[in-house]
Amino acid sequence: MTPFKLQIITPDGVFFDGMTENVIVRTTVGDKGILARHEPYVAAITISKFKVKIDGNFRYGAISSGVIKVSKEKTVILAQSCEWADEIDVDRAVKAKQVAESRITEYEKANDQKNLDIAEFKLKRALNRIEASKMR
Amino acid sequence: MATGNMKDIKRRIKSVSSTRQITKAMELVASSKLRKAKQRSESGRPYFEAQYALLAEIASVKKDFKTIFTEPREVKNRLFIVIAGDRGLAGGFNSNILKAVAAAHKNDAVKPKIIAIGRKAVEYFDKRGYEVVAKYPYFAEKAKTAHCMDIAQIAVDLFAVGEVDEVELFYTAFVSPLVQTPECAKLLPIANIGAGTGEDLGLINYDPSPEAVFDRVLPKFLMSMISCAVVESFASEQGARRTAMESATDNADEMIANLSLSYNRARQEKITNEITEIVSGANALS
Repeated sequence: MTPFKLQIITPDGVFFDGMTENVIVRTTVGDKGILARHEPYVAAITISKFKVKIDGNFRYGAISSGVIKVSKEKTVILAQSCEWADEIDVDRAVKAKQVAESRITEYEKANDQKNLDIAEFKLKRALNRIEASKMR
Repeated sequence: MATGNMKDIKRRIKSVSSTRQITKAMELVASSKLRKAKQRSESGRPYFEAQYALLAEIASVKKDFKTIFTEPREVKNRLFIVIAGDRGLAGGFNSNILKAVAAAHKNDAVKPKIIAIGRKAVEYFDKRGYEVVAKYPYFAEKAKTAHCMDIAQIAVDLFAVGEVDEVELFYTAFVSPLVQTPECAKLLPIANIGAGTGEDLGLINYDPSPEAVFDRVLPKFLMSMISCAVVESFASEQGARRTAMESATDNADEMIANLSLSYNRARQEKITNEITEIVSGANALS
């Protein structure tokens, strides 16, 4: 397959910059695979797993909300945070999951919608990271 | 007379040199923090630039592109996001930024709502009866993107429900290690974005629609703007502190030099006095 240029950029710096043959991400409207010479395309990415094909092998990772932008020269993924599956700190993710769960019950009792949303968002992220870490 | 004076001078030298030790240490700490902050601000830059380019592109897709975030409206209430330091002893750093804030709204009928970042900002606005929407003391040094996201979300929410009609960000731009200037950037409504990059942009396929993507990207864009500003202000704070502490150390050095000069003079005088006494005593005997 023809490789194309992919960049994954997070607020902490450039996470990935190199050639890939295929990128699959989950957008707000469904899973989307990008191959070389894809039409110009922009969509928002939800908290999900993603995979990138490098030298014929898929590499998996976890992404938390961002945007994918495909243009002629390159594909750019802007992510709030991004990790490769084999680099995820599972213990931390599990801990984050427990904290988020206990917060959710706490905020549900207090009827605090705003903090509840935040806690749910955190739980989603933690679950996503745990799942992604199994795909190494 | 000389002995009492000498003791005083000696005590002063001791106190000045212990102060000097503190200022010197603070100077060194500030310069190492400054180095780290500069690295952080550089690593965040590509994200910010890519995000800005993306928003500009989306906005330039259609002539009639409109969301509530790009429409200017009559300004009744303003929201200021103010980034100041957590600690003093940084020269004019904190007072400059807070003065800039005061100057920015002195002609307004209503006091602006405030999101205060940094303990100095929190204290300042609390004391003066502003409506502080959110407080983030001790935030800048280890600011996480998630926290900046919270701030951006608060701003977007207030703007979306119409509680504020304008959002502005006050931070201190890092011009050089010696020069830091307070700056104000308008966050919302976003004006003049997408002045056209010259590319042919009409053919991009937005999923589901340019407006939907724009509204999703916007909070993240604000988030990265805020986090860039936080990091930059932190670098500025360290720069300002370093300069202030450097001049304090220099002043202490000068004071110590002057004091030791007068100490030595007093000592010399005392010795001369003693010799004169001995000599005159010996003369009287012979």
